[in-house]
Amino acid sequence: MSESNELEALSATLGAKVAESRPLDTSVLNKDNESIKLVSVEQWIENVNELSKLGVGVIVKPSDDVKLLKDTLNDVALIALDFNNFDDGRGYSQAYLLSKRWKYAEEIIGINAHLDQLQFMLRSGVTSYKLLESYEGFDEHDYTNGFSICYQAAANNSGLKEKF
Amino acid sequence: MYQYSPEDSKFLVERVDQFEKQLKRHLDGDLDAAKFRSLRLRNGLYMELHAHMLRVAIPYGTLNTTQLRALADVADKYDRGFGHFTTRQNIQYNWIELSEIANLLRELSSVGLHAIQTSGKATRNITADPLSGLTEGEIADARPYCELIRRWFNLHPEFSWLPGKFKIAVNGAKLDETALRVHDLGLRLVRNKEGELGFTVYVGGGLGAAAMVAAETASFVPVEDILSYLESAMRIYNLKGRRDHLKKLRIKFLVRELGAKEYSRLVDEDWKQTRDDPELKLNLTHLSELEKDFALPIKPLAFDGFEDKVDFNYSIWKKNNVRAHKISGHSIVNVSLTKLGAAPGDATSEQMRILADLADQYGYSELRTTKRQTIVFPHVRKDQVFDLWQSLEKYGLASPHQGTLAQIVACPGGDYCDLAKAVSIPIATRVQQRFDDMDKLLDIGDLNINISGCENSCAHHHVADIGLLGMQKNGEEYYQITVAGETLYKTVIGKKLGPSVSGDNVVDAVEDIVNVYLDNREEEEKFTEVFKRIGIKPFKEKVYE
Repeated sequence: MSESNELEALSATLGAKVAESRPLDTSVLNKDNESIKLVSVEQWIENVNELSKLGVGVIVKPSDDVKLLKDTLNDVALIALDFNNFDDGRGYSQAYLLSKRWKYAEEIIGINAHLDQLQFMLRSGVTSYKLLESYEGFDEHDYTNGFSICYQAAANNSGLKEKF
Repeated sequence: MYQYSPEDSKFLVERVDQFEKQLKRHLDGDLDAAKFRSLRLRNGLYMELHAHMLRVAIPYGTLNTTQLRALADVADKYDRGFGHFTTRQNIQYNWIELSEIANLLRELSSVGLHAIQTSGKATRNITADPLSGLTEGEIADARPYCELIRRWFNLHPEFSWLPGKFKIAVNGAKLDETALRVHDLGLRLVRNKEGELGFTVYVGGGLGAAAMVAAETASFVPVEDILSYLESAMRIYNLKGRRDHLKKLRIKFLVRELGAKEYSRLVDEDWKQTRDDPELKLNLTHLSELEKDFALPIKPLAFDGFEDKVDFNYSIWKKNNVRAHKISGHSIVNVSLTKLGAAPGDATSEQMRILADLADQYGYSELRTTKRQTIVFPHVRKDQVFDLWQSLEKYGLASPHQGTLAQIVACPGGDYCDLAKAVSIPIATRVQQRFDDMDKLLDIGDLNINISGCENSCAHHHVADIGLLGMQKNGEEYYQITVAGETLYKTVIGKKLGPSVSGDNVVDAVEDIVNVYLDNREEEEKFTEVFKRIGIKPFKEKVYE
């Protein structure tokens, strides 16, 4: 009677593979509209001394271990979390760790973001976003702030009545 | 009885509004099928080729009669006059029109019911012991905890896109009516040496093709720390769970691959950093408010010298369906919806309304749903049980077969489900026909037979006394037999008896197994006790001789 679990799983698997083989974004506009060069987590770890002087940002893929950045976080100009794969939820935990646990103070930008996930991203600690796609006439407010109440403490509960 | 506050009701309406817009965008071509699929599942909606199925939550399995009538109205107005009570405290409708879904959900929200997270890769409806608050020796009523955990993980920003679905069950009773340790995460209420209340936590259980018993990851988590512990348990899963293999998405595979010890170590390491965060402490004020809301609506009653009516059918029914209530003068009454040849758990709108009327009359307007797909009247005055039985009898809801081997749990199987490899309900019917002698059924006692039509194991065959799993062999339907699975006292996955048996021979095999049990039973021994004592060999020899 239920829909195929296999189909559900297959689409997630294919989604994950597509996301991993996609070339990474190499730059992003920050909140002041400046273009910031992005390097991978591996590149950052290998060349942290030089890169930290250049004001570059780090792009974090869902499969990256964000803990690798912990010790040098203060030198990273901006962190871009890649939300391209709709069903891959690792970015939300990455945002939580960076924002709430390690108090990363610079911009955490959700790139390749989806409208229907904005409220989850923003509450997890993402501070700004770049949409992967959009459609005509949408009201952004519908997606960043769809509810009047929240039932859990998160990195960001602003504007919501807290019930927990 | 607990009811949602106006702000909770507003949240339900906001969720429906949001889903209605997503549906419209999808129909307008502005939201692609893959994304819409992920979003609609989180609202309980499955789209099949010819019809749409909606799964509505019955949180902790507790319903009031207003809610049951609303479910009946939905069945009439939006479906074909019936609903299907599932094994996990949900109800499913199978013939829903897309254009009507938002109105349907709005109607349900007005009585505090919803379909949020009844499917999809997030925390599902959190199930509780259906007899919560009713039995002697219980540590605490599980439902206030279920409600607080449900709220916390309701659209949780961090844990709404997990690798796979995540099922949680909570039990506070002595016996495990929830099957805790075949859940992704099970919580058992316990007291430590100091008498403080907390939870033992089990992670990584599940049925399906790779049935596993959950490992104990924490022996005692204080009540106020449970939310932070659950977050850490889910955070490790969210970050490290398998997302690359379609058959390894559930947390049981992560726990198996890492080893329970290493998984627990990772959870503890994460938890150390959050357990003292005051924001993550369980709100004890909310807890005590909920405890009041869930308090039983009855007081002890003394029926000195009370003598129940004498009636042959009544006494048989009573033996199998009425249990002792911890409050004197009351009983717990179980009602089965199972009819020969029909899908277990199916109820017509008429039956739902009859049950609601009877619950208003005899049961303090409250009902519970169980994993055996039955309906429980949690508190019936001892001197009214006979009257209730007479009414149930009148409406065909008091078959004396209930509570015997004939109360078979079966999935819809090949007759209704695209995934099934074999039929389930016709096998259940044939078993019921084979065992149609009431004296023999009473002699056998409560022996569980569960029949799943495929490896998804919707009928939980792994944890039944006799489990049947449908499969295909050279284009014919065969059944693999497992024996002596259990969850009530401890959790054991049933053992495979031997080669699978053809559909023609499977009922003979079931009868052989029952006969070996009867021939070897000493006094009141249960099936699993006999199995432990004599081993698998006598069963094997009889079936494959």
